Amino acid sequence: MTIVTPRPVSQSGLRRSGGSARMTEIIILCILAGLCLLIVYPFFWLFFSSFKTAKDIVTLPVQLLPREWTLDSFRRVFASPDLLRPYINSLTLSFSTVALVLATSSLGGYVFARLQFPGRDLIFILILATTMVPFITLLIPLYLVMQRLGLLNSYLAILIPAAVSSFGIFLCRQFISVIPRDLYEAAKMDGCGDFAIYIRIILPLIKPVLAALAIFSFLASFNAYLWPLVVLNDKDLFTLPIALTKLLSTYGVTNYDLIMPASLLACVPPLVVFLLFQRHFVQGIALSGIKG
Amino acid sequence: MAMIETQAGAVDATRTPTRSDKATRRRVASRLGLVVALALVVYYAIIFVLPFGVSIWLSLQNWDFIVDPKYVGLRNYQRMFSDSYFWQALRVTVTFSAVEIAAALLLGLVLAFLLSRLRGARQRTFMALFYLPVITPSIVAVLLWRWLYIRDGGAFNNLLTALGIPPQPFLLSSEQALYCIVVMVVWTFVGGVIVLFLAGINDIPEHLLEASMLDGAGLFRQFWHIILPLLRPIIVYQVVVSVIGTFQLFEQFMFLAGPGFSTRTLALYTYQLGFQSMDLGYGAAVSFFIFLALLVATTVQLRRQRATFEY
Repeated sequence: MTIVTPRPVSQSGLRRSGGSARMTEIIILCILAGLCLLIVYPFFWLFFSSFKTAKDIVTLPVQLLPREWTLDSFRRVFASPDLLRPYINSLTLSFSTVALVLATSSLGGYVFARLQFPGRDLIFILILATTMVPFITLLIPLYLVMQRLGLLNSYLAILIPAAVSSFGIFLCRQFISVIPRDLYEAAKMDGCGDFAIYIRIILPLIKPVLAALAIFSFLASFNAYLWPLVVLNDKDLFTLPIALTKLLSTYGVTNYDLIMPASLLACVPPLVVFLLFQRHFVQGIALSGIKG
Repeated sequence: MAMIETQAGAVDATRTPTRSDKATRRRVASRLGLVVALALVVYYAIIFVLPFGVSIWLSLQNWDFIVDPKYVGLRNYQRMFSDSYFWQALRVTVTFSAVEIAAALLLGLVLAFLLSRLRGARQRTFMALFYLPVITPSIVAVLLWRWLYIRDGGAFNNLLTALGIPPQPFLLSSEQALYCIVVMVVWTFVGGVIVLFLAGINDIPEHLLEASMLDGAGLFRQFWHIILPLLRPIIVYQVVVSVIGTFQLFEQFMFLAGPGFSTRTLALYTYQLGFQSMDLGYGAAVSFFIFLALLVATTVQLRRQRATFEY
């Protein structure tokens, strides 16, 4: 990893003097704006639909703007235990997962980057190799393992497989291995043990990677549908994605009047998490994408 | 002289410690390292190795979850090759992946390049908007698009009729349904692709592009002859990751399903076999096939990359 990065292409602006540069820039902006509109288009519908009356949402043909603005649909969402409980459940699970992943990834990365012990490199490669097996292949067997362990229908069945991320360990290890050895040596000279070095020196230095990992693992956890679906039976334990799909047909009618506002509310936690950590985010992506 | 055996060899213990002794001490195993490594090994053994082994074992059984499993050898795999549902699911999966990856790659590259021509706040604003679908919960996106694709009076068809185009059946047509899902998935992931490629473009030293500009190269030339070749490793990486990802997409195919089995992927087929038809042995076999297919695809991709790319 280069410590001194050359000035990025996009920062230099690369302008040619004269009108042709201006023209090019306008064309670029037009294309981008057009595509941007297409990308954002579905969100307009999500947003405006949430402020419509129940009847207005399900009336066909659909209209973009509400005939009558109301906060009623949000009230109905909060009043519905089938939506509120799962929302909280998802948040609890996701935050727990993030904490676990950050802890295991940073510690794991540190151990493989800096500490010596027999079999270190072999174990690291094996951990990386686990990413080669897709989750779908482990779906049925892992379900059986959880059943044997008596963990079905509990949050442990979701948290335990999610607690360690090979990708996270890999990222942290890459990031930690470029921390200058001198810092490490100096701390050792002062009598710091390995764990103390981890807490006092390593952790503060890898904040960008931890931020990126926080976003990734939060999204993965909040988003998860298949595994929680398979593992959870108890209505009180349902996560938000499961609850949203259960709304699809009660009594044969699709409850879009509830789905729309609930979906909009479901977008809030990931958005907030992303905004909080995004400063470190692009750095994290660049590290994970380019290196190797 | 009292000799002590250390990891590095015999050392005279009566000497005062010198610099090289400190070097030797460092080679003694770290206790923290051992503890953590051991914990990880146990963890992965239970969460990964065990299920993987069970997966193989299960694929050789016939089991409906009620009666005891019965060993049937490779019969599940033989059944796979004569199962028309399997071949259809394979076709659907491969078609979907190929089209989606091509579209996302192309769009992502072009948009990343265009974005790289902008500066600071403008670039970041566009970037944030393109990235919105990535951080939207996937169920939200799926349900939203399901609603948009409603044929009679749905948002997309309204837009089409307003533009003078006849309304489309979308998810109600076995020809269109899969491509409707492609559009939705491209929409979801193009932001991530753009971020990756933009980072790659930023790594390109600016003097290369400046030199080309002095030689009179226009935007398109710059893109084709400089940026594209230098982005090759990232493109390959993105393709590999995308193949692995698209083969495992699930909720999109469950809730944006087209008529019949026109949108049933291998992943969906596995789930239905294991948790609906209660045909666990066969389901395990299909899911193991997915693993093998991905392994082959990934290896082939990486081999080709190493063979052709030179810096």
